[in-house]
Amino acid sequence: MLKIENLHASVAGKKILKGINLSIGAGEVHAIMGPNGSGKSTLSNVIAGRDGYEVTAGSVTYQGNDLLAMAPEERAWAGVFLAFQYPVEIPGVNNTYMLKAGVNAKRKHQGEQELDAIDFMQLVKEKAKLVELDQSFLSRGVNEGFSGGEKKRNEIFQMAVLEPTLALLDETDSGLDIDALRVVAHGVNALRSPERSIIMVTHYQRLLDYIEPDFVHVLVDGEILKTGDKSLALELESRGYDWVKAEAAA
Amino acid sequence: MSDVALNDIRLDIAGLPGNAGVQALRQQAADVFARTGLPGKRAEDWKYTDLSRLSAVLGESWWVTAAQTEPADVHVIDDLDAYRLVFVAGQFQAEQSNLPTGVQMLPLADFLANDTAERGHCLFHVDESAPLFNGLMAANTALASDGLCACIGDDVQLDKPLYIIHNGSSTAHVLNGLMLGRNAKVTLIEHFVGAGSDAALSNIATYLRLGENAELRHYRLQLESDKQFHIGRVEVKQARDSRYILHAVELGAQLSRADIVVDLAEPGASCALHGLFVASGRQHIDHHTRIDHNAPHCRSRENYRTVLDGRSHAVFNGKIVVAEGAIKTDSAQSNGNLLLSKNAGVDTKPELEIYNDDVKCAHGVTVGQLDEDQLFYLKSRGLSTEEARQLLTFAFADEILTAMDIPAVRRFIEHKAFAKLPNMTDLEGLLG
Ligand SMILES: Nc1ncnc2c1ncn2[C@@H]1O[C@H](COP(=O)(O)OP(=O)(O)O)[C@@H](O)[C@H]1O
Ligand SMILES: [Mg+2]
Repeated sequence: MLKIENLHASVAGKKILKGINLSIGAGEVHAIMGPNGSGKSTLSNVIAGRDGYEVTAGSVTYQGNDLLAMAPEERAWAGVFLAFQYPVEIPGVNNTYMLKAGVNAKRKHQGEQELDAIDFMQLVKEKAKLVELDQSFLSRGVNEGFSGGEKKRNEIFQMAVLEPTLALLDETDSGLDIDALRVVAHGVNALRSPERSIIMVTHYQRLLDYIEPDFVHVLVDGEILKTGDKSLALELESRGYDWVKAEAAA
Repeated sequence: MSDVALNDIRLDIAGLPGNAGVQALRQQAADVFARTGLPGKRAEDWKYTDLSRLSAVLGESWWVTAAQTEPADVHVIDDLDAYRLVFVAGQFQAEQSNLPTGVQMLPLADFLANDTAERGHCLFHVDESAPLFNGLMAANTALASDGLCACIGDDVQLDKPLYIIHNGSSTAHVLNGLMLGRNAKVTLIEHFVGAGSDAALSNIATYLRLGENAELRHYRLQLESDKQFHIGRVEVKQARDSRYILHAVELGAQLSRADIVVDLAEPGASCALHGLFVASGRQHIDHHTRIDHNAPHCRSRENYRTVLDGRSHAVFNGKIVVAEGAIKTDSAQSNGNLLLSKNAGVDTKPELEIYNDDVKCAHGVTVGQLDEDQLFYLKSRGLSTEEARQLLTFAFADEILTAMDIPAVRRFIEHKAFAKLPNMTDLEGLLG
């Protein structure tokens, strides 16, 4: 499904990713944990196609296609979705309008009929319930004046509407209180399916209490130093990252 | 006769409408013009707008008007329920117009034909001490062929907007005067449009007086042909508690300059100036606004947005003067500039002159490109690069467009403004 091989990437001439290897099968949920600055967002951004990241070596293959050769919107059409760590505010661009344009661009690309306004509104209202997003948010500017928690909810709401086959959740749990975390986690769990792979980037173990991953990877200084199951996350929680580094150096 | 005499504006006055009193005032204005001439680049207020292009392109006698037999085939706002006044090349067209009944409103030339006042109508008094005064105003007074002349009585609320269409591709000097009585309420739409293939000058002056508690909503839509020079002056004087709302849209002309001068003369008066420039190619657009807070408890708002593509250039100068006695002044000014091309440029400057301590004056200027983070966000949701750019450009102008309270005008401007930018393709979807 997604295959990352020996991925090296730099930002502003600085080497950030130093040989990432990762294989993700359909329907799997992978957690990527790591200290601040280890390259988690860089990895997410490179997969989603953000400008400013130079891939100096390696490959990313998705559903047999070279993902790195595709424009960001082409990746979206192919089913890639990034829930941003820091979603940007876009005043004047209506949240629902943006999603309708996105959904229909994707449908068009896949040879499906575009949704009309009525069908689309129905879809959107149904999905908003999933993350308990108040209807009033639908008609507001994208993230305009949203609180931190509302922005994160809006990201998962968008994921629900766009129905990706590969979702990258970049610290979707950060900045959420426990109630909001439960709501967001519930939304993500409801979106788990055999056709949908999920990469959860997180700094905190507590998210994994709510969304159980199939695999946990530890990313330190641009490299995946260790891979395990859910218990690895618990171990990181109690012991920190240093032992992983020491073990890898040994 | 020397060349100088041949190029004298005074020679063109005979034959223009007006009794002896008006003719004398026209001559006085011409004298003022002969003395001041066109504003040069050394004048501080004309630093960024070079009017030498006017005489370079139109010749030494750039002011000379020409009759236009055929009105150009132009787009106007068809789905607008309004009283229409159509002018072609500065001349009123009765058969294409319908004026409201029961109010004092005439084309200026008709008014002058029956004007018996010996002193000459006050519209023809040139005031050299007025803010942003320049020679073109004097030329306008000297040479005005026609325009609107209206006094809306106390308590009169016009049931429909006044829609003035200036269809012109030749040089014209138009002089409008509109007075609103106490509690009167009017919407005025001035729409400048042309389709000429030759360069010419539209020199338009509009003098507005608002009585106590009167309200004027003023749309000034400049969509001249891309060859045209457009020079505009709007002068507003406001009595107690009156409200003036301007929607100034600049889309056309090769060079367009407008001076908006507002006098908040009595307590409680307020004005709101909304500006939208959308320019491309080599267009040059300049607004100088000047708001005088001359009384306590007045409020002014200014929000100008410019979208510049190609090698276009915009100038915005917003001057606010708060007089000594104008306590509790509340003023805010904002000017945002979006540069879609690296060859486009803007000169923008807020100017505050405040002569008392009890005021609230806020101002802010931004100049920038489309935001990369916003672009990426939209693309990551599946919008194409093109679509994302269009949407963000549109969003940038959104505040100004949504402030327009007549849907037909707003729709018209949306389409005209964004269809003129290259790469604005699927507009229907965008405006949905
Ligand atoms: N645009 C950028 N310019 C310069 N350095 C950057 C940029 N983006 C990220 N970095 C650097 O790359 C490193 C990894 O950042 P990031 O991928 O955001 O880490 P994480 O998400 O794991 O906290 C950090 O040292 C950060 O400072
Ligand atoms: Mg990060």
